[in-house]
Amino acid sequence: MRVMSLATRMALAAVAASVFLGGFAVAAEPALTIGLLLPGPKNDAGYNQSFYDAALEVGRNIPGIRLIVAEYVTDAEAESVMETMIRQGARLILPCGFPLQYPAVAVAARHPNVRFMHPGGWEVRPNFSNFFATTQLHFYIMGVAAGLMTETNKIGFVAGMPLGFTLGNVNGFHLGARSVNPDVTTHLLFTFSWGDTTKEAAAAQALLDQGCDVITMHLDSPIAVIQTVEAAGAYTIGFMSLDARRYAPDGWITGLGLTWGDYFTQSAQAVIDGTWRTGFIRRGLAEGFLEIAPFGGRVPAEVREAVLAVAEDFKAGLIDPFKGPIRDQNGVIRIAEGEIWGNEKMGDFDWLIEGITGSPK
Amino acid sequence: MSAFTSPARRLRGACAAGVRVVRKGWAIAAARYAIVLAIALLAYAVVLLLAGKNPLQAYSDTFSFTLGSWYGFSEVVVRMIPLLLTAIAVALPSKLGLINVGGEGQLYMGAWLATWGAITFTGLPAAVFIPLLIVLGFVGGGVWAAVAGFFRARGLVNETITTLLMNYVSPLIVGFFVYGTWRSREVGASAFPQSAAFPEAARLPRFFDTRIHLGLVLALILLLLFWFVLEKTAWGLKMRAIGGNPEAARRLGVRLGLYIIVAMFVAGGIAGLAGMAEVSALHGRLRAGFSPGYGFTGFLISWLAGGSPLGILTMSFVLAVVFSAGSLLQITQGVPFAAVNVLMALILFVVLMKPRLLGRLS
Amino acid sequence: MNWAFFGGLLSGTIMYGVPLLYTTLGEVIGQRAGMVNLGLEGILLIGASVGFAVSIETGNPWLGVGAAALAGALFNLVYAFLVATRRANQLASGLTVMFFGMGISAMVGRAYVGGGIAGLARYQVPGVAALPWVTRTMFNYDLLVYLAVPVAVLVWWVLYRTRWGLSLRAVGENPSAAFAAGRRISALKYQAALACGFLAGIAGAHLSVALARTWTEGMTGGRGFVAVALVIFSKWHPLRAIVGALLFGGAVTLQLQLQAMGAGVSPFLLNMIPYLLTLGVLLVWSGARRFAAPGALGRVYSGEE
Repeated sequence: MRVMSLATRMALAAVAASVFLGGFAVAAEPALTIGLLLPGPKNDAGYNQSFYDAALEVGRNIPGIRLIVAEYVTDAEAESVMETMIRQGARLILPCGFPLQYPAVAVAARHPNVRFMHPGGWEVRPNFSNFFATTQLHFYIMGVAAGLMTETNKIGFVAGMPLGFTLGNVNGFHLGARSVNPDVTTHLLFTFSWGDTTKEAAAAQALLDQGCDVITMHLDSPIAVIQTVEAAGAYTIGFMSLDARRYAPDGWITGLGLTWGDYFTQSAQAVIDGTWRTGFIRRGLAEGFLEIAPFGGRVPAEVREAVLAVAEDFKAGLIDPFKGPIRDQNGVIRIAEGEIWGNEKMGDFDWLIEGITGSPK
Repeated sequence: MSAFTSPARRLRGACAAGVRVVRKGWAIAAARYAIVLAIALLAYAVVLLLAGKNPLQAYSDTFSFTLGSWYGFSEVVVRMIPLLLTAIAVALPSKLGLINVGGEGQLYMGAWLATWGAITFTGLPAAVFIPLLIVLGFVGGGVWAAVAGFFRARGLVNETITTLLMNYVSPLIVGFFVYGTWRSREVGASAFPQSAAFPEAARLPRFFDTRIHLGLVLALILLLLFWFVLEKTAWGLKMRAIGGNPEAARRLGVRLGLYIIVAMFVAGGIAGLAGMAEVSALHGRLRAGFSPGYGFTGFLISWLAGGSPLGILTMSFVLAVVFSAGSLLQITQGVPFAAVNVLMALILFVVLMKPRLLGRLS
Repeated sequence: MNWAFFGGLLSGTIMYGVPLLYTTLGEVIGQRAGMVNLGLEGILLIGASVGFAVSIETGNPWLGVGAAALAGALFNLVYAFLVATRRANQLASGLTVMFFGMGISAMVGRAYVGGGIAGLARYQVPGVAALPWVTRTMFNYDLLVYLAVPVAVLVWWVLYRTRWGLSLRAVGENPSAAFAAGRRISALKYQAALACGFLAGIAGAHLSVALARTWTEGMTGGRGFVAVALVIFSKWHPLRAIVGALLFGGAVTLQLQLQAMGAGVSPFLLNMIPYLLTLGVLLVWSGARRFAAPGALGRVYSGEE
């Protein structure tokens, strides 16, 4: 009883204090306050940084944007983080972590006037949209680069967790490599974590030991993998942040960058103008969600031309990587002749294409 | 007191004296906790200053966001639930002199078995489902802890080591199932390794339009029961006797081994309820790594509270506020989330330095 | 099965067993003096963050390793102070150190997140290149890897062949008797804690400076707790710790190498093996006195000083 009454009294005092302090805090009303939630550090040269950089770009493009960032957000904390951001005035919330989707949907239901944009999920509400890049398709281009550059015909892929989206990236990568190099095999390792950098280095090392000479990754931060590969004198293909190139001054081939800056800017402007609409959005290279990173110095001109030509074909919509017939590791046909594995199914892969060594589980 | 006073009056007098003693005890305990907190907050203010932050603003933010709004307060209570339960899971066996560091592992096993129930018996009505989940959560954590109790009772391995080691195994068991046979096959949701959604009837009810859930009621009942059994029953007396001098208790014919196994089973069961409640009430699905170390925090709470029920309630509340401050100060002040661990450490440090502050000798 | 599998398994096992070995050796010294330190995770994080920060600032990874070792040793004085001077509960003191380490390393390392370094230079084990199943990238180790087993032998020698080691073990076994024999218990505990922190600091730096070559918050991923389990597995003996560290390092590497071969063995089951083995070892040898824990392990010594 006593604890409660004490708490109540403290609470009342606090309300008074916050009103008082709040009076001073309001200086200039921002045009829009954006709340950005990241599962990791904002400068990881990978997943988190791609969103952070894009949010900063919004600030450069639209005057009067206020950005609130929370790093290392776990799903247990996410709801109260978002509620706090909304109390701080946020009207656009970007919960940029896969498991943050459920908490975000719950908060969105309580705040119909706040807009939410979630990357990579599947839920859609009137004030909750879903966006991501069609990385699974475009990893094909990276595969082309890997297939042309490998000398051992073994290329490696280090991934965090066996999610459907991740398996799709690996499948796309392998299809691209196979299109230019029929002898190529792709070797896939999961670390079963998104942030255990030591294990990521160990995984890259294991792939190198198996003879892989081109390695790419789907991890929160690519730094540990890239540096391990670089030290061994092998090639890297990056994914997510274009910034990753600086860790491989020698062995960098190219990379697939997630570039949300324009999209975030348009969305923020739409929120300000009151024209924001929900949706399930999957876009690619042509629409600016993805970018091909500059090539490394050791990449020959003919490889660059070949890769850029494929990229142009993609933009023109001439290539559909997941077009049947495609067989899985056991030789079973998973995509029949003439069929296409559509955009809406990119998260539904639970199988790997033949020629990939690794387990889809 | 004169011999002429009526029995009723004497009784009333005694009651009043008793209340005074209790009140005084309360006041002293409250003052002690306040002093510990004040020292830790002062030290943390220095840390914040060194990091170039304004501690006053930080504390007033924490205060207004966690206690100054109904929502903030409700979230503190939500955080308290697993802390309360895992702390009881440590405090109970500690009365027997047992050290249970396995709350984290027991929590996972409770969630694991409850999830099995939730995705197997999907057709049950809530009136049957909820009690079933409570039983399964309890048994899951209980059996896991009883294994350690059994080894201890047989004189094979000390329960501290076993429970510590078993903490590593249970999240792996959960991972094995969540990535394997239990993995959801729903369209879209299959992209993420998690169990199928619990049926609506298998979700613990929530109250007051907040995330506060039935787990709170369970935790408070268990806390009360813990106090009652310990203070008011023969079992409690025997347990304290065993804790004080196991050899003497054994010579008096107490079946020590049985007490150890039962105490560990019940303790593990209570930690298991924490896991069940988190999964059923908050997530609605089982996911790998869903606990951010509640079991370890529960251990510290029980230790800080000296195993006293009221202390557990107080410290769970304090630590729930501390952890709420972690994510909060990042947003309002730009203090890194992990910095809150320093505050946590400072509180512990003060108590370890001066155990007498909380009325305890080390 | 192919040769690359075995070569990679062996090579990786050694590489990833080494940071565990340094940590375990530190904890062996501490526990031999009667101190269970659950705070190793925090010391590893301090070592990893300080080591990485100093490596970046100075451009010399060895300075990073040295700074990490010193930082680890000094940091563990917090634990020694609580346990030896204040005679506080060891488990809670350890967790205090862990929380301090988690918080301070995050604050120290904040400016260095996203940084990268070349790391410690690596040298291939001489002669192995001649073996047909060894590829160019296998058995390439930094000096800390080569030094690990000699350090383990050194720790064994110090603990079992020197007067200091004898005194230390006496303190861990029976503090009252040690005190009666004129040993300075508190001083010895401080020294043991310094040595423990020193080795754990090196281990932390090995993770960030040599293996991952970057810093991320919480990058130690529970290895500090693994080391506590390893001390138990190795029955408080520095040479058996080598076997234990290789076993744990091997479990991680085996999981990766099996995946690389396309074998569908669940990594969760593989990761369980070391813990189940440790439990098994404990049960099998629970009665044997030769393998018993130090007599006064975890107890608060309340005697005179």
